[in-house]
Amino acid sequence: MSLAPKPHSALLIVGHGSTENPDSSTPYFEHAAEIRRRGLFSEVHCCFWKEEPSMREAEYLIDASEVYVVPDFISEGYFTQDVIPRELRLTGPTTEVRGKTYHYCLPVGVHPSMTDLILRRAKEVAPGVDPRKTTLIITGHGTGLNQNSTKAIRDQVDLIAASGAGYAAVLDAFMEEQPFIAEWDKMAATENVIVVPFFISDGLHSYQDIPVLLGIESEVGAAASQREVFRHNPHHLRGKKLYYTSAIGTERLLADVILDQVADFDKTHKSL
Amino acid sequence: MSTAQKLRDLIRSGYHRMGELEIQTDVYGYAYLVCHHEDLYLSEEGGLGGLDLHEGPDKARNLSTYAADGTYRFNKANISLQRGWALGLQDEEELRQALDLFYPAGLGLFLASREGRLDVQNLRDKLERQTGMYRFAKSINDPGAQKLVRDTCGPDKACAKKILWQIDATTPLEDSPASAYTGIPEGLAETEAIPLVCREACNHFVAECRKAAKAEFEVKNQEG
Repeated sequence: MSLAPKPHSALLIVGHGSTENPDSSTPYFEHAAEIRRRGLFSEVHCCFWKEEPSMREAEYLIDASEVYVVPDFISEGYFTQDVIPRELRLTGPTTEVRGKTYHYCLPVGVHPSMTDLILRRAKEVAPGVDPRKTTLIITGHGTGLNQNSTKAIRDQVDLIAASGAGYAAVLDAFMEEQPFIAEWDKMAATENVIVVPFFISDGLHSYQDIPVLLGIESEVGAAASQREVFRHNPHHLRGKKLYYTSAIGTERLLADVILDQVADFDKTHKSL
Repeated sequence: MSTAQKLRDLIRSGYHRMGELEIQTDVYGYAYLVCHHEDLYLSEEGGLGGLDLHEGPDKARNLSTYAADGTYRFNKANISLQRGWALGLQDEEELRQALDLFYPAGLGLFLASREGRLDVQNLRDKLERQTGMYRFAKSINDPGAQKLVRDTCGPDKACAKKILWQIDATTPLEDSPASAYTGIPEGLAETEAIPLVCREACNHFVAECRKAAKAEFEVKNQEG
């Protein structure tokens, strides 16, 4: 969906951020730079939960009186339903706060266009590999505390399975709840296995924790940007060929998904 | 007037310093040239005195991510900005974007403070907003919080921010180098430097509150 220019509106991209790992916020700044380059908004800014600028500081970044807020998060859950509304003082889809009008869009991870990004990422990491002989696993954190955190992944699994992409199997797997990603080889009946981490950034989980669970690494390594040697695919492990991609959020085209969420917001809430 | 226009006016009126940054105008064909203030003399030499020249506001993020010793500068006001570079910018909008990467929202917070529209949040209110493992931070007592300010904040502890918040509405910070810091670097007038203002305790301070609160709790338990 193309978005008409909004020369009098600001875009605010909200991310988690980290006090430990700068790679965590890199995709957010890259998405902001890409959208800024397209000149669709008068301003494009980022704010974070664990980094500066904080969500409470965001209003001081923005000149425009109308602001579209897009959570650059992978699922709906604690952060998008509790933390962000509380910090930005949002009470509904559209909220007036201290002289500005904020439109609160859905997080990027729940947009249907994420399906194309996953398939694109899977093809890039395993060029020429026959999907019919390949299991595609989409993996995320998972937590017993919030059902929504895994829903986005399960939805993508269903969408890809129904898309005609031709994979022998499309599965979900998680770090902290069943089915566990550590058992990827038992889950997959095919020789080829592609694992796509459904995270925004190559932070602690996708580049440090999951490689250990997969068996690629024996211990948690340094942050992605600090590595001298990046992993090479495929990995011959447990009798299979394993292809492991970087986090889906590092895909440059995620900027388009952010814009899709803004367009969807207008379609849903402004046409009423 | 936009933030970028206000920035242009500030620079024209004589402001040239923000945190560890020195801002020059009309240098080497750039409308603005930014460098570490200790590298100013190099930037005035031929060939920028050997400084690495970068262009465009997006470069500011990489220049400010790590300290010289490789430490991740998650607190951008930490006085540990690397030296050895200069950043060329084409206009005040680019300068504004770069400053927001070096010192996130620092310019907007200063302008809001100057214009009387800054919403300052005191420590108790900030700690009440904490959830999860940081919820316990709010149990820190006032003497513990005052001590943390002395031990954690201000230029003596490598933070360049001027603290605006109190413990609560009726409890100001006790006198200390941290609470007294004006945000204006030594030797400069108020009309030369954009101070970095601290409108609420940062994540690092909250994490330290949690540690101190736990220590207080353990001492109390042992005594009880």
